Amino acid sequence: MPSYAIPSETLHPAQPEQATPFDDLESVVALYEQRIFRFLLISVRDRDVAQTLTQETFLRAWSARATFRGDCAVPTWLMRIALNLVRDHTRTERFRFWRRVSKTAVDVSDIASHVPHRDSSLESRLIASEQLELVWESVAQLSARQRSVFLLRFLEELELNEIAAITGLPVSTVKTHLYRALATIRARHNSTTHEESQ
Amino acid sequence: MNLHLTHEQLCDLVLADSSLPLHDNLSEYGERDADVVHEHLRACLICSAELESLRAALAHFREASVSYAGQAFARASANRASIAPPHRFLTHPLYWAAAAAVIVATLAPVTLHHYHPAAPQTAVSTAQSTAARHSTESDEALLEDINQKLSDDVPYPMQSLADPTAGVTAAQSTSDQRNN
Repeated sequence: MPSYAIPSETLHPAQPEQATPFDDLESVVALYEQRIFRFLLISVRDRDVAQTLTQETFLRAWSARATFRGDCAVPTWLMRIALNLVRDHTRTERFRFWRRVSKTAVDVSDIASHVPHRDSSLESRLIASEQLELVWESVAQLSARQRSVFLLRFLEELELNEIAAITGLPVSTVKTHLYRALATIRARHNSTTHEESQ
Repeated sequence: MNLHLTHEQLCDLVLADSSLPLHDNLSEYGERDADVVHEHLRACLICSAELESLRAALAHFREASVSYAGQAFARASANRASIAPPHRFLTHPLYWAAAAAVIVATLAPVTLHHYHPAAPQTAVSTAQSTAARHSTESDEALLEDINQKLSDDVPYPMQSLADPTAGVTAAQSTSDQRNN
């Protein structure tokens, strides 16, 4: 008796395509574009690259919208895509080359002018700029994974379980990455303080 | 005995939400450990100063990054808006009407430019065909005239010799008319 393959549509009748939040891409972009751009800009430290990757994030989100099951929040899903793009981008040697020569690369001096001056005293402004520079340079020294986790926590102010959902890491591992990132910053901070006290 | 907070204890304080009471942030250590940390921070100026400094550094980093990124985003959006119309305009009929008007205005001179050479060309060709027709007609008339002259028995200059009465007859008829 010949065997016939039963079409999967017969066993599981095709469900009508469910609507996702990404069907209204314009609203999603309006809500989250700035946030995604910010994370990408501070991650890759290049305005043009950040813009390109931001567009790519939404393009990928829209292309893969059928796979969005709603088991996580929209910004979490977008941030996951953005994080993967950063990982792919920074992995290449070409990225390192272009970061050296790019005119749109972000330098610490660009950021330093944005340090808030609640206290108008010159000393406090200098201390604030110095602290910013310290963290900025320390973040550059972190491994890619540590840097991403650090930025998700201290730039985007996400909870540890949200970071775990984005990175796909257990919360304990996320915490370990944060401890190590903060250890780097503390070490640099202490050495700077020690040099100043001598 | 450790005189200061451990790295993990300090990190947990930094990672925790600073707006919450200290006991809430250290809840995972248990009530007693949280009290110990709290007591230590009050007593140890080094640990409390380091905690404050670390928090301040991270806050400066965040605030400056957010501010800079906001400005960069606004600039990028402005650049994008200057080269492309806002998306909502694309659904507006007036936008498409204006776009059509611009296209027509752009193409009209090109179209006229294409027509202009055609008009003189037509005029020239008309003139050429008219001239050709005229020359053909005149040629035919000339040939007709030649044929007529060749077919005549007596050449035109010798007609008076061939029919001497022709002039008289004509004169008589003229005088008869006068007499009448």
